[in-house]
Amino acid sequence: MSRALDRTGIWIGWAFFADLANALALTFGYMFSRPVTMQYPDKEKWLPYSRYRGHHFLTRDEEGEIKCVACELCARICPCDCIEVIPYEDEKGNRHPAKFEIDMARCLFCGLCEDACPADAIALGQQYEFSSFSSRDLVIGRDDLLGKPGKAMTGGGVVAARLNTEQDVLVETSEPQGYNWWRNIRRT
Amino acid sequence: MELVVALGLIVFKVALLIAILLLLPLPLTWLERKIAGHIQQRMGPMRVGWHGLLQPVADGVKLLTKEDHIPAEADRFLFKLAPILALAPPFVVFVAVPFGESVSVLGTEITLYVSNMNVALLFVFAVIGIEVYGVIFGGWAANSKYAVLGSLRTCAQMISYEIPMGFAVIGVVMLAQSMSLLEIVRAQANVWNIVYQPVGFFVFFVAGLAQAQRIPFDLAEAEGDLGAGFHTEYSGIRFAFFMVSEYAIMLLTSVLAVILFFGGWNGVLVPLPPLLWFLLKVAFFVYVFIWFRFTFPRYRYDQLMAIGWKVLLPLSMANIIITGVAFL
Ligand code: SF4
Ligand code: SF4
Repeated sequence: MSRALDRTGIWIGWAFFADLANALALTFGYMFSRPVTMQYPDKEKWLPYSRYRGHHFLTRDEEGEIKCVACELCARICPCDCIEVIPYEDEKGNRHPAKFEIDMARCLFCGLCEDACPADAIALGQQYEFSSFSSRDLVIGRDDLLGKPGKAMTGGGVVAARLNTEQDVLVETSEPQGYNWWRNIRRT
Repeated sequence: MELVVALGLIVFKVALLIAILLLLPLPLTWLERKIAGHIQQRMGPMRVGWHGLLQPVADGVKLLTKEDHIPAEADRFLFKLAPILALAPPFVVFVAVPFGESVSVLGTEITLYVSNMNVALLFVFAVIGIEVYGVIFGGWAANSKYAVLGSLRTCAQMISYEIPMGFAVIGVVMLAQSMSLLEIVRAQANVWNIVYQPVGFFVFFVAGLAQAQRIPFDLAEAEGDLGAGFHTEYSGIRFAFFMVSEYAIMLLTSVLAVILFFGGWNGVLVPLPPLLWFLLKVAFFVYVFIWFRFTFPRYRYDQLMAIGWKVLLPLSMANIIITGVAFL
């Protein structure tokens, strides 16, 4: 009996376009919900997720000396052959890179160099704005790499957007683990 | 002297109408993109002007400066004729559409319509039928498979939907005992036609969606399966013509729905100026059109035909018979 009632209910609903009305109500509701758009780079900018693999950076040890020991393991493992290391020995007999160049135009951001490094000297940070008009500008040398921002997990620091904006750039730093993309998505 | 004043007034009204109709697509595209954005939880255009308000102007400039490209194999004459054929009828139709009774400016009564035809309704349907030629010629002349398919679909769609649309308004004509749009509105001074003619309105509205080539019946352009349908090969200013025509027809359908079924400029409860009431109602229908577009998927072609012939046509017939029995 109740099933028959259900069925008639469904038929009546069908005749009066209940399903279409449902859809309209849903879209109308969405119309007044908060947009998930991040207005990058005009207004908002955020830390990428903590494991994000962005621009490389080289680290220094406590004395301020570059950590890299110029073992060239990263250059070996790199599938794109885009790291070039030329070692030298300083007065104390420590090996360091005289030249350390990464060709960002060829890098595929696999992170293998970071994994291979025995000295924790190289890692992929969180900078992601380094497009350029010339691929030659994408060959980054040792000193530039030392100055690049680190990982989002360890603070890292957000770099200002490169495009000019009238408004101040709002930096999303409230979450140390990086931006939570799903926060604003409405669930019904 | 009086003749000159009357003529001048008509010329002024026509010029005003054309200007408004030509400029209205600008805010409408902005609105459409904004509503689309918010329905999809985006923001829509934001970068040009305040909240992207100047975006349509930028788009217009872009369209005007784009290359006006005619495909090598196209029928050049028809290809050039089609956008004009698509654009002119919606503009002509508005001549017969009243926007209100009259206002007095500096002591003279100025009517808010260009002409009060006694067969206005017939005129509207006859002239708007010509618009289809623009779409058909456009698709045919471009010599492209997508475009031809789009215009073939349009042909069939228009034929099957003009009939129920025409039948749907007969109920209204019976109630008002007149084909003049002005008389029809006056007849609704107390009770709007929607009360007596819900079925008629339903048929009219669905057929209107099909006429205006809007989702869920936009098979002529069907981005998903036909590229852009009949205007696939059009670019630049000619494409803009088609766009303007599409918006004008959407507006026309909204205006007709308001005049025929929602009491035109007759207000309820809140005493607002009649013209404002009218514009508010039209705006509501325009919003509904856009709202539908971003809610529903497109009907399949055979479904479109089935709805037209098996649902709308019998419904509109039944509506006429019931109206006839009940009110005459
Ligand atoms: S991330 Fe991968 S491709 Fe890029 S430099 Fe390191 S190893 Fe080479
Ligand atoms: S960055 Fe690491 S792997 Fe590469 S040369 Fe220096 S120490 Fe070796």
